[in-house]
Amino acid sequence: MIRSANPFATEPRYELITRVLRSNIERGTLPEGLVLLEGPISIAMKTSRVPVQAALRHLLAEGLIHRFEGRGYLVGPAGKAITPLRRDLQEFQLNIPGEVDDALRTRGTWRHVYEQVEEQVASCQIFGEFRIVETELSEYLGVSRTVARDVLARLQERGLIRKSASSHWIAGPLTARTVREKFEMRRIMEPAALRLAAPHIRYAEVEHVLEMMDSGSILTSESLSESLLDLCIAQAPNATLVEMIRSNRLLLSSVSRALTSLGLPNDDETNDQYRTIFDLISRHPIDSAVEYLRDHIEILSRRNLARLKIVAVVQETGAFAPYLIPQ
Amino acid sequence: MVPQGQTLASPPRLHSRRLRVRGTSITLLRQVREQAQADLGITVDYELLDFPTCQRRAATEPQGYDVYEQCFHNLDIVWFWGALQPIDINRITEWDNISDLAKQGGISKYAWRGHGDAPVRKLYVQPGGFLGPKPSRYISMLPTVHNMDSFGYDPRVFGFAENVTPSWAWLLDKRAKGRIALVDEPAIGFFDAALAAEAAGELDFADIGNMTIEEINALMALLEDRRRQGYFCGAWRDGDAAAQLVRDGAVAVQSMWSPVYCQLGPQAGTFLEAAPLEGYRAWHGGASLSRHLAGADLDMAYEYLNWWLSGYAGSVMARQGYYIATPERSRAHMTPQEWAYWYDGAAAAQDLTGPAGDWVVRAGAVRAGGSYRDRASRIAIWNTVMDEYNYAARAWERFILRVQSGRAVDEGAA
Repeated sequence: MIRSANPFATEPRYELITRVLRSNIERGTLPEGLVLLEGPISIAMKTSRVPVQAALRHLLAEGLIHRFEGRGYLVGPAGKAITPLRRDLQEFQLNIPGEVDDALRTRGTWRHVYEQVEEQVASCQIFGEFRIVETELSEYLGVSRTVARDVLARLQERGLIRKSASSHWIAGPLTARTVREKFEMRRIMEPAALRLAAPHIRYAEVEHVLEMMDSGSILTSESLSESLLDLCIAQAPNATLVEMIRSNRLLLSSVSRALTSLGLPNDDETNDQYRTIFDLISRHPIDSAVEYLRDHIEILSRRNLARLKIVAVVQETGAFAPYLIPQ
Repeated sequence: MVPQGQTLASPPRLHSRRLRVRGTSITLLRQVREQAQADLGITVDYELLDFPTCQRRAATEPQGYDVYEQCFHNLDIVWFWGALQPIDINRITEWDNISDLAKQGGISKYAWRGHGDAPVRKLYVQPGGFLGPKPSRYISMLPTVHNMDSFGYDPRVFGFAENVTPSWAWLLDKRAKGRIALVDEPAIGFFDAALAAEAAGELDFADIGNMTIEEINALMALLEDRRRQGYFCGAWRDGDAAAQLVRDGAVAVQSMWSPVYCQLGPQAGTFLEAAPLEGYRAWHGGASLSRHLAGADLDMAYEYLNWWLSGYAGSVMARQGYYIATPERSRAHMTPQEWAYWYDGAAAAQDLTGPAGDWVVRAGAVRAGGSYRDRASRIAIWNTVMDEYNYAARAWERFILRVQSGRAVDEGAA
């Protein structure tokens, strides 16, 4: 077995990022008062936002940065009434030690950039139609064109982008019709799958979810929806059907996450309905759960259409990632 | 204790109770505010915004106001942001007197409801937090002021009313080329344009109140084509701007709001209110409660809501050409001549004044479209937030930007 010579190669990404930010703050490269935002840092570090969030939490705990009234964090300790300094991170020539940079880069398969791109592509669609330029994407992400192509293939699989007649990658526009049709598909397929799945449902785990809900655990509607799919619906002994159900949901879940990231309120109004479904599944003949699920998806459809209207309030700032070209 | 015969210097008249109202120029009138303060013993702070800004800030910053005065159609935005709380009709003293137009959807059982978002379709809170027409104890917005809008036109271009019947098609009419303006609000001006496109025989919508993407694209393409030919001279968001266009002689036909007819000065005789062949584009306003209200503040907001329907405010609305959901209560605050002109469609028996006491209607004038009943029976469509609103609103916004920048108008095009 050959061990990597790079001591940072096995260190979690958030630790690498914490290390880089800490040293740049300590040596003054990042001045006091500078507003630190997840997005630009994740771009500079060529990672998704998740490890950046973790790194910022660590720095906060160390007292090197602090929260303020705006979005993000300010460099420097709290309580000194520092004036926020809003500047582009790229101006500051972040010092990233070669070994750390290597360690970050070796993780640079499409998986590490995908999440960020998906969010940008999903959220731009509410503003209209965009073309994605592959070379710009690879440049923006600092990855090879092969990786950029992998990312695009994955986006296409999720139904977030398509090829135009002239072979351009096109995203959006996201319309009420798309959302309505996706939910119509859910309403046709998922109750049918649930019926088929009845003898195979993982009942013990369903009970466990019910117990968690009873004990007051905070479960999001997204996680409840995932449980319903994984433990019940996807247990149907028809792999083709289950695959169709999963891929039909991909666009909806990407869009939902994108809308939340644009500042829309979360919709957890339907949590009680999940309880009822799990309850019906575990204690009653499957017919009642199937009927209830049909109604539940109808309600979800209406809620999602209502949610799609309210995004009209989100103002277009004109700041789309450079690889997204408004059509 | 103050000895008899002596008084303490009276403090300035400041009320400890303050109510913050966010709304538009429709209802945020000085006269309404002053009377509400006097009647209720509270201080009312107004925040007056244009429609789109008002809607956006009401949705995303509910902490900034106590009462939100806007139109039913934008509940689809503000309600679903979770910015408002339900109103308990048991606390609304005038509930039983509110007209059927708001509560049933039409002024009579047989009246055509109109396409789009009739207020009743957004009135009642339904299970699951939806809004719908099925009566329940809780409502989303207290119905107050409303009107049936049309457009204004220059009879020297289109002919005088005795000979012609105004049609929405005039908003795309070649005779007015270069002198057409629209109200810039995607749930309002968009439908003025849609009515015009249908009336002109250019387009046909399966459901004008809930268009498909293709229909929206077709409408925007038509508007863009006319824009390139130089049909449009502007777009506006408030009545003052609309009045200015008329006073400048810039428009031969444009979207209009009722109070604007009273601001035309010497041009008043050459810019007339249309009673369109196809019917009106109606809207219904109201007042909603911010999510954060509780306790004494909530009680104060209910007092204010109840005050709105108790008569005086409705009389102020009438003097700018708007109707109120409890007309009989307002009648007591109007002269018989005012009532006859504004509600009954009779000729003005004398000069009538507007909310600020300035002259509005000359003796002998008759309101276009006739009485309240006649006008309310001819609603073609309501201001509406369609399913594809986000798509339509953004397409509209881009169109308006091009109108305003006058970009790429084909000079000399036919």
